[in-house]
Amino acid sequence: MPEKEKVYRCLSPIGIQLPVKTFPLAPRLDRIDGKTIHLSICGEPDITIALERRLKMDYPNVNWTVKKSYTPNPVQLSEEEMKTTDAVILGVCW
Amino acid sequence: MPYIAKLEKAGIPTVLIDLEDQHNMVREEALASGVPKVRFMPASRTLAGPEDVDKWIQPLMDALTRPLTDEEEESGQFSPSQNRVLFEGTSEKAQEFYQQTRFIPRPVNAELAVYTDGFPIVVPTEERVAEMLKGTSHRPDELIAYQEDRPVRLRVESCKGDPVRFQPRLFTATVEKAAVNAVMAGCKPEHLPVVLAIAETGLTTGTTNFPTQVLVLSGPIVKEIGLNTGCGHLGPGSRVNGPIGRAFQLMALNLGGAIPGVNRMSAHGSPMNNGGMCIGENVDGLPPGWKGLNEEHGFRKEESVVVFMTIGNHGGILGHEFSPGGYRALQKSGHGGMARRLGVKGTPGPHNWLEYLFPRIFSVLEGGFTLIMIPEMARHLYEIGFKSKQDVYDWIYKKSFETVGEYRSRSWPDLTTNGWMGREKTSGKPWKELSDDYMVPVVNDPFDNCIIVAGGEEEGCIQLTGGRAGFGDLPSAAYSIDKWR
Repeated sequence: MPEKEKVYRCLSPIGIQLPVKTFPLAPRLDRIDGKTIHLSICGEPDITIALERRLKMDYPNVNWTVKKSYTPNPVQLSEEEMKTTDAVILGVCW
Repeated sequence: MPYIAKLEKAGIPTVLIDLEDQHNMVREEALASGVPKVRFMPASRTLAGPEDVDKWIQPLMDALTRPLTDEEEESGQFSPSQNRVLFEGTSEKAQEFYQQTRFIPRPVNAELAVYTDGFPIVVPTEERVAEMLKGTSHRPDELIAYQEDRPVRLRVESCKGDPVRFQPRLFTATVEKAAVNAVMAGCKPEHLPVVLAIAETGLTTGTTNFPTQVLVLSGPIVKEIGLNTGCGHLGPGSRVNGPIGRAFQLMALNLGGAIPGVNRMSAHGSPMNNGGMCIGENVDGLPPGWKGLNEEHGFRKEESVVVFMTIGNHGGILGHEFSPGGYRALQKSGHGGMARRLGVKGTPGPHNWLEYLFPRIFSVLEGGFTLIMIPEMARHLYEIGFKSKQDVYDWIYKKSFETVGEYRSRSWPDLTTNGWMGREKTSGKPWKELSDDYMVPVVNDPFDNCIIVAGGEEEGCIQLTGGRAGFGDLPSAAYSIDKWR
């Protein structure tokens, strides 16, 4: 067989995707008022300072909790804190 | 994203705010974390904060209350089919196949190669890969795993034997997969232990700004495989430096899934990643008492290692601030601009040429520097009194002190001090308690600096910002090549 017609088996360079179990999202809130909503801030103070101010002004009946980081890694809620948190807003991711 | 996944799995609804051009990255990371349908909102890179918030605050809150769709309520398993053989056909058709591109939308808006770095590759036929695998005693089907315990890396503790999960897609890979990429890069079988050690690093590419990955080889391997450590070693031409550096970038793309504009978001990329960068240390050029990089990282002189460096996050690459002739004039007879700056006019050397660079080099750059210097210049430093590399690192560190007032006028420290909420290292005090005239180091630790002796005979020093200090919580990392032989 001429060299240019020879058929080669060529291997994949792609890494192995391990199976990932996928989960449904958590059920959404039935209402905002009266809930404890956590604002997890990671960087972008131009946005997050305005966001925090606006959220507290527009939703005064929410119990807002806040943790701040300037880095992409948010300060996480502890297991205890998660028990009393109804929802989380996290931003700004980059 | 693992944190968001943890919250969602615990029954706490979340919504993310990300930057508007990074949606693909969010989707990929969400899938890898098991919550593919995470809700997110786009923030602007350019609009003023209040105006931007005004645009999406209502949809943001709606994302916390709007009932889930059928898709968002689904659970299951993501397990795409993966074939060992990617293509069967003639050599010409194989080359076409491996060179294929696909369009990446904003923020790239261009065709990018699917399996390569854009350059032609050596097609990884079964025969070529089998030949490559002769370079290691490890089995082809062996998962690439850590060869020793590693400290926390990107917040994940790694133990000996743990499979390496390649960033950013957290894929794993076999020894054969690394060999496939090594073939594509143009490596030879004797390079494979180096390529496997490089794979063991996890192939972190970083994402924003200007991260550049540099592999530095130290130990007997340098001469064994014929790395160029002399004239032009950073440039093209070597059949060793080039392909090994390239193997990193191909593995980052293929084993790690790092794709520009999808999860590798550096606005410009780095030209040093174009084809990759592999440097060899010239052990014969080290002055007496100056340790090789392998020894600096706790290995013995006769052990071969690869040191993985991430440079450029706080700057990039600099070099040749002085002319080679000017350097010779300084050292031989104390004449020229360098001598005038150092105040040694008319006095023959050796003189401390570092004084020409430091501390001015810190004017817009902070953090440790990796200095690539030719043997002659290393010898001059030794003759002046730097009896070890550590002496140089300490000297650079001391030169880096400036007032808190000056330090606060830099950009990166807003991030690295966590918004000035942390504690300053030398005093142990909160940043916010320090007076403006308190002196702080711009280099975090003397060992963040690094010296690589290499290069030809024309007097010059290349400075790379950063180095083995890496980025974020990536630890300084030297990986044994010998364990992959």
